[in-house]
Amino acid sequence: MNQFIMLMRREWMQHRIGWGVVMLAPTLLLLLGSLIDDSLQININDKVQLMALRQAPPLVITGLLVMAVTGLTLALALLSMTFQLPGLAWRDQQDGSAEFWTSLPVGHAKAIAATLFTQILMLPWLAIIVGIIGGLVAAMLVITAIHGPLDWLTQPWGLLALAALALLLRMTVALLVAMAWLSPLLLLTMVASAWLRRWGVPVVAALSLAGTLILDKRLPEPLVGPALWLPTSEALHALLYFNGVRALEVHSVQDAIEQLPRLPLSLLADLPPMLGALATPAFVLALAGAALGFALLVLRRKRGA
Amino acid sequence: MDPLIQARGLTLRYGRKTALDDLSFDVLKGRVVGLLGHNGAGKTSLMKALVGLAPTEGSLSVLGLAPRQQRVQLLESVAYIPDVAILPRWAQVSQLIELMSGLHPRFSAERARSLLRRTSVGLGDKVKTLSKGMVVQVHLALVAAIDARLMILDEPTLGLDVLSRKSFYEMLLDEWCDGERSVLISTHQVEEIESLLSDVLMLNEGKLVLAISLEDIDRRFVALGHDPAAAEAIVAAHPLLRYRVQGGSAALFDGPPPEAVLALGQRLRPSLVDLFMALTRQPEIARTQGL
Repeated sequence: MNQFIMLMRREWMQHRIGWGVVMLAPTLLLLLGSLIDDSLQININDKVQLMALRQAPPLVITGLLVMAVTGLTLALALLSMTFQLPGLAWRDQQDGSAEFWTSLPVGHAKAIAATLFTQILMLPWLAIIVGIIGGLVAAMLVITAIHGPLDWLTQPWGLLALAALALLLRMTVALLVAMAWLSPLLLLTMVASAWLRRWGVPVVAALSLAGTLILDKRLPEPLVGPALWLPTSEALHALLYFNGVRALEVHSVQDAIEQLPRLPLSLLADLPPMLGALATPAFVLALAGAALGFALLVLRRKRGA
Repeated sequence: MDPLIQARGLTLRYGRKTALDDLSFDVLKGRVVGLLGHNGAGKTSLMKALVGLAPTEGSLSVLGLAPRQQRVQLLESVAYIPDVAILPRWAQVSQLIELMSGLHPRFSAERARSLLRRTSVGLGDKVKTLSKGMVVQVHLALVAAIDARLMILDEPTLGLDVLSRKSFYEMLLDEWCDGERSVLISTHQVEEIESLLSDVLMLNEGKLVLAISLEDIDRRFVALGHDPAAAEAIVAAHPLLRYRVQGGSAALFDGPPPEAVLALGQRLRPSLVDLFMALTRQPEIARTQGL
């Protein structure tokens, strides 16, 4: 276990500057935007109500900033992870340190698992936590600047804390589900990069296009397109569709404030259907694909990539 | 006494190329073994095989373990430098010490810091800012801080100046070797390490051409310095190698030459370099050079 944690620390040591930018940029951007831009408007329930941020009650500012910062931080973290992941398959070959790592008493599977766990799960999960905290901090500064510190202090903190925890739990589970769906695509792209290095991603992209545009049209039932689209749509669905929150009756700012006590349970209401939807052959196939990708990465490392 | 390394019929192939061909040898505890061979002779392949990083045929046991199947367990008791200048360039020296502490159960951070204090490398230095020689010093300090039973070093002092090389070898002998631990070291600086070695393994084109202790070299091989006038008689006795020495020529024999030939020259101590030349050069090369 200590070795696994140390391997995770290695990821932090190597990527901490990039991660720091990804984690903190959304908070700073939204904070500055909220403070500088007077015309910034908030939108309650689509077209129902538009109002300038400065006119919004503190609770609404807090809620919106937490959601916005969390969403943006997570999106940036996922984007950065997606771009970075293929390169991780051969980064140690690239900087000439592969032999140093394999000279240590660490199993090949453990070394790869630690990298994947940290990059695919821990980084986005940290982004959620940093996003929630960053949103709260940004809200504090914005509310203090607009209304004064007393208004920030007198918010219903018990309810806000519960909502923040529920958001964290809901997004944690959503992240696990989303990454499980996406794992075959991510890992097989890594495998391609492990073997083909910088040609890995272009080759995967070309094969995916060829499969979708040419092969699928010649098959009785399309195969490649659905194999790419289904995991992606399921992952996006888990992360983005807040059905429980949508079910709340919110037509105005006042509604939003009144519905706050129901927000934690509404957030958690998404979890049972989200987990229930995993009991499908497609999900089992996705996990099998991920297991195959992992085994191939281990094989590549064992052979001395 | 059980050998630390025992190889029988060890063969390693990369596709059609045979990198190691039917090697059989033992390395006992408390020995400093030099692994000698030209570029491409199979030294690195052998070292990789010994730490389970290359698949082999035949039988191989290192510290009583099967390297390929028990690599992780084996590397807990083996300090291994596969090559120099392979430390991750993004890391600080202090981070490497921290990583090694967490990843190697027999690594002593205090010992590594103490060894690094003898160099000009600072703990806060990043690997990418260090010269090649300094990176080698860091790597050697990290490896020497492992409480291992066997140290396997592939060209460990490449890029080091002569003082640093001498300092490393002194540390190796005085502080690391304790009569129980063994070192297997490959290098092209044969003359420089000859005095450190207790045994030699010599590879030529993947074949083990010599596995012998330094004491036995003196007993088995005979070098004979002679005048040019005796050259024909010496050649007729089929020496392994004929070479020039100051003031004349010399010939190296595997086993004592006939008494009549011995009487033609003066017995010299065969050096490891001469032996290396004799055993790893194609005979036709020696012939064409007209020695």
